[in-house]
Amino acid sequence: MTKLVEKRTVDMEIIGEWVNPASRVLDLGCGRGALLHYLVQTKEAAAVGVDLDFRRITACVGRGLSAYQGDMTTFMRQFPDRHFDRVICSRTVQELDDPTGVILEALRVGRAVTVGFVNHGYWKNRVDALLRGRKVRNAVYTTEWFESRPANPVTIADFEHFCAAKGITVTRRAHLLGDWRTPCRVLPNFFAGYALYDLAK
Amino acid sequence: MTDPEENEPAFSSLAPGELGLVAPRDFVCASPFTFKSGQVLPGFTLRYETYGTLSATRDNAILICHALSGDHHCAGVHSADDRKPGWWNNLIGPGKAVDTSRFFVVCANVLGGCVGSSGPSSTDPATGRTYGISFPFVTILDMVRSQKLLLDHLGVASLHAVIGGSMGGMTALLFAIEFPLFTRRVLAMATTSRESAQAIAFNEVGRQAIMQDPDWNRGDYPKGGGPRVGLAIARMMAHITYVSDASMDRKFGRRKKNPANGETYNFDVQFEVESYLRHQGQAFINRFDANSYLYITRALDQFDLAHAYGSLEAAFAPVQAESLIVGFTSDWLFPPEQNRQIALALLRAGKPASYAELATDLGHDSFLLESDDLYALVRAFLERNSAAAVDFSI
Repeated sequence: MTKLVEKRTVDMEIIGEWVNPASRVLDLGCGRGALLHYLVQTKEAAAVGVDLDFRRITACVGRGLSAYQGDMTTFMRQFPDRHFDRVICSRTVQELDDPTGVILEALRVGRAVTVGFVNHGYWKNRVDALLRGRKVRNAVYTTEWFESRPANPVTIADFEHFCAAKGITVTRRAHLLGDWRTPCRVLPNFFAGYALYDLAK
Repeated sequence: MTDPEENEPAFSSLAPGELGLVAPRDFVCASPFTFKSGQVLPGFTLRYETYGTLSATRDNAILICHALSGDHHCAGVHSADDRKPGWWNNLIGPGKAVDTSRFFVVCANVLGGCVGSSGPSSTDPATGRTYGISFPFVTILDMVRSQKLLLDHLGVASLHAVIGGSMGGMTALLFAIEFPLFTRRVLAMATTSRESAQAIAFNEVGRQAIMQDPDWNRGDYPKGGGPRVGLAIARMMAHITYVSDASMDRKFGRRKKNPANGETYNFDVQFEVESYLRHQGQAFINRFDANSYLYITRALDQFDLAHAYGSLEAAFAPVQAESLIVGFTSDWLFPPEQNRQIALALLRAGKPASYAELATDLGHDSFLLESDDLYALVRAFLERNSAAAVDFSI
């Protein structure tokens, strides 16, 4: 568990570096608001989170955050173009019904869009699938398939292809090794455990 | 709001964690009060209750705003024999979500009401008779302004929060708009920024039931008299809008009042739900004034923030408070969508605002629900510190 918390912090630190001070940030799938709380405290961000769960919204409210319970696409449709300086979609894309719709809508309401995801092309996942022939389970995806939510695993290669196909500009990339800390410089789709992308229209 | 029922277990008013005995007081404002309509009263009275203690810095006050048929008695009991405590007693008290050991809680009967505050059943000093429909038209704004005068009188420097459900939610929102520097938090539940056609329609049926009753007599009737039949029907109809298909079916189903009678072929009470609604109607006429019902439903109908300020975003532009809006999935009088629109407009206006939605099947009255999830949310909102290291609002 400690390892997971540590990994979360790394994720937050990189996103924090990309967020300009006092900017207006929207976090899609904000959970209990840990990332937003960090951005408010370190960057004085004007932050809003969206999540589906009442108790997670309660946790955000208790942290002093603005949080909205509901569907993220419906939420974004209620805002004018470029209302937010940055929209963050951290570890959410693999669970979206319509990832294209969400990311394109995020690119409309946000000047920049940050997407972070666990790379399912990471070599350990490949070995796992090849040798064990089972659903990937690791420190991040801990549950059996029958206890898991529907997921649409994504790899770095998939995501690069998506951006190219939709004409989305990638302004920054961060590929991290399996420790989610050390930058990965070669064959990221094989060696990177975690990927962060900064997108613009 | 629905009235208490006969068969509920007795309430232990003096148990630990309960507020216990409370007493109403009257605030008499002797200066003239100009209503939004332009009409003027030479002065007015608001009946109110307070719980807890105002801090030395006079900034720990929470204003509770009641709904259409509510009043100032929102927690505690008036005597040890009371069978029911105030209407929001589950939320308000020492150690509860609205913690009276921390906060100074104020609740007033609205202007136009009939439970001690000036309204159509008050005596007009000019004529010595009750005002009836010569009482000035009341709006939510008039309720807000008169309650601000009460808070000034009590020495409240600023509100830690203003909280309300249904009409109380409208009042709370308008408080933050009209008195932005005075209001630090707004918690509005099961409410709307604009009374919908459906809600106006239900109010109109209630008003027609009252006004078509010959005993209404154009609002001129003696105390204790008046359109009792019309008011009871208005209440029976309105009560249905406060609950839900599922909750009524669970509570009554098709149960018969006297199953032993078998099939009966007359129009007497057959189903328990009929008996229940008749009880609701009868209980209401003993505590509510028909003219007040007309006035307050009219105030609800006229509530439309977007129209009053140009747009909802413009209405919220001056707000300095942090807001929390709560919708309830089964509320079909002020549905979740109308609550969501409030939070979204606040966010579009660049204000800190949250929206939470509780899954219940109890309908509009869900905001009065005994729910640990709801208590946790209210407590989190009231007791939080702002996440921002720097306060942008200054």
